Amino acid sequence: MSEKANFRENGGVRGWFGRQPTWVRSVVVAVALVLAFLLPYAGDVPLIGPQIVTEGIDWPSALFNMSYYVLLALGLNVVVGYAGLLDLGYVGFFAVGAYGTALLTSPDSVLYADTGWKWLMAVPVALALTMVAGLVLGWPTLRLRGDYLAIVTLGFAEIIRIFATSTTTLRGDRGFASIPHPPGEWGGKPIFGVTDAVPYFWLGLVVIIAVILGVRNLDRSRVGRSWLAIREDEEAAEIMGVRTIKYKLWAFAIGAFIGGLGGVLFAGEQGFINSQTFVLQFSILVLAGVVMGGSGNMAGAILGGALISYIPDRLRGISLGDTDLYEYRFAMFGLVIIIIMVLRPQGLIPSRRRAMELKDREKEVAPQ
Amino acid sequence: MLLEVDNVTLAYGRIQALHGISLTVGQGEVVALIGANGAGKSTTMRAISGLRPVAQGSIKFDGEDITKLRADLRVVRGVSQSPEGRGIFPGMTVRDNLEMGAYTRRNRSEIDEDMQRAFTLFPRLKEREKQPGGTLSGGEQQMLAVGRALMSRPKLLLLDEPSMGLAPMLIQQIFDIIVEINQQGTTVLLVEQNAQQALSRAHRAYVLETGRIVKEGTGAELLNDPAVKDAYLGVA
Repeated sequence: MSEKANFRENGGVRGWFGRQPTWVRSVVVAVALVLAFLLPYAGDVPLIGPQIVTEGIDWPSALFNMSYYVLLALGLNVVVGYAGLLDLGYVGFFAVGAYGTALLTSPDSVLYADTGWKWLMAVPVALALTMVAGLVLGWPTLRLRGDYLAIVTLGFAEIIRIFATSTTTLRGDRGFASIPHPPGEWGGKPIFGVTDAVPYFWLGLVVIIAVILGVRNLDRSRVGRSWLAIREDEEAAEIMGVRTIKYKLWAFAIGAFIGGLGGVLFAGEQGFINSQTFVLQFSILVLAGVVMGGSGNMAGAILGGALISYIPDRLRGISLGDTDLYEYRFAMFGLVIIIIMVLRPQGLIPSRRRAMELKDREKEVAPQ
Repeated sequence: MLLEVDNVTLAYGRIQALHGISLTVGQGEVVALIGANGAGKSTTMRAISGLRPVAQGSIKFDGEDITKLRADLRVVRGVSQSPEGRGIFPGMTVRDNLEMGAYTRRNRSEIDEDMQRAFTLFPRLKEREKQPGGTLSGGEQQMLAVGRALMSRPKLLLLDEPSMGLAPMLIQQIFDIIVEINQQGTTVLLVEQNAQQALSRAHRAYVLETGRIVKEGTGAELLNDPAVKDAYLGVA
């Protein structure tokens, strides 16, 4: 057996990592975390640095964009990757989180006279609202399966967007301005300002880490086992005694919560949102990220989420003739996805279980 | 009676699959349901395990009306199913599949005991303990499905086509095991296309045709029934 095949047999990088003693693993994780927090200064690294950083958009802003895309990918991964529920309207929850924040804080809001809260006060309410939205959408629809569920979730996201576009309370294109930034001061100046996106990225990173830890714990609990069973064979799960509707609702609510987190962060950084932000494309993009990265695997979702934000941002400001490559971002992006899906259909960092399930389903379609 | 199905009707949309099925399973029995494709055998199983709601009629289990009870609670009451097409979890290891079978139970030492029992019944599963279910052969998957269904310590074990797709040798073996499980005290309701095996192993049996029960009797009676012979045993 060649060395490479042998390495694979032993579980590759993840297998190696799992076999290391705790201290080695802690060091690896600590180094990775430090590197992640140092990302805003990647441009200072000689030679490779300038290749990595974006040109048409300032690098810390691009990093912040990546952070909320990663959050969305992590949340959608719970719904699609863990519980196996195809949600095409995930942006709806992002929108609920962002609008929840805007309504409670922006001077443009009809509620401003009564609320006019600080960002931090609005966060828990906005998040509760997204979870409720998840449950309200999930309760009647999670009895549907596969394609039907996908269509209903698609409708949900459109309802939210059209509602935001047409109702005067949600202000359509005019949107909400002056949404306050997150709190905190350093040396007499607010940490979260208008010009420097680095603190926002760090905040996003902290939230991402918290979400990773939370989801990891859930995945290893009875909830995770129930999700896995539902995803692999919903009917079989039911006859094992899994109350499928309950765990599917959990997945929806947790996914919604994480999507809402993305929304409140987004609103807090931008200071302005309107209905243009929440187009359907956005849902599809995040789903593409999850699938591309490796559905059912958090590392995959993180990578996929980061890429769907990074690739278009990196293309910005690069000219080909007299057009900006950014204009072609979706075409190029589509090409990248097609290439990845042809070469690696299970995703960049796949979940081993998912790979096995795919194989099993192939067998069902074309028995050997 | 452990299980009493009384005049149950069930429809998939506008297509009626069961036209008033009545059957009983007594404590300690092996009862077989035989019939052609589309006769409603699996649908009857699904009605009993709660995967499909019934339109009319009632299902009583262990003295309790479970007609409207959720599927997951029926498992707690003691109904366990090995579904048609096995329905194993392909990405979970053999051990994790068996663990899923004990999903509703908490007592760790009892679960470990039953795990050992499953491995004793099916030594092949022990050999494959750490392998994903999806990598098993058809026969091994069938064993896993039956072993998994036993992990909930059921009072009533529902087996849907346990011999489907298996080599003759394995069919023999799986029926031997079914008899063994029954002798250890589990009541079995069995759906089969392999009428020969099912009738020779069952205490009693029902013949289903297009959603109705057309015959019932002991296994031996039906084995010697000319009409049954003609239609299901392939001998004229």
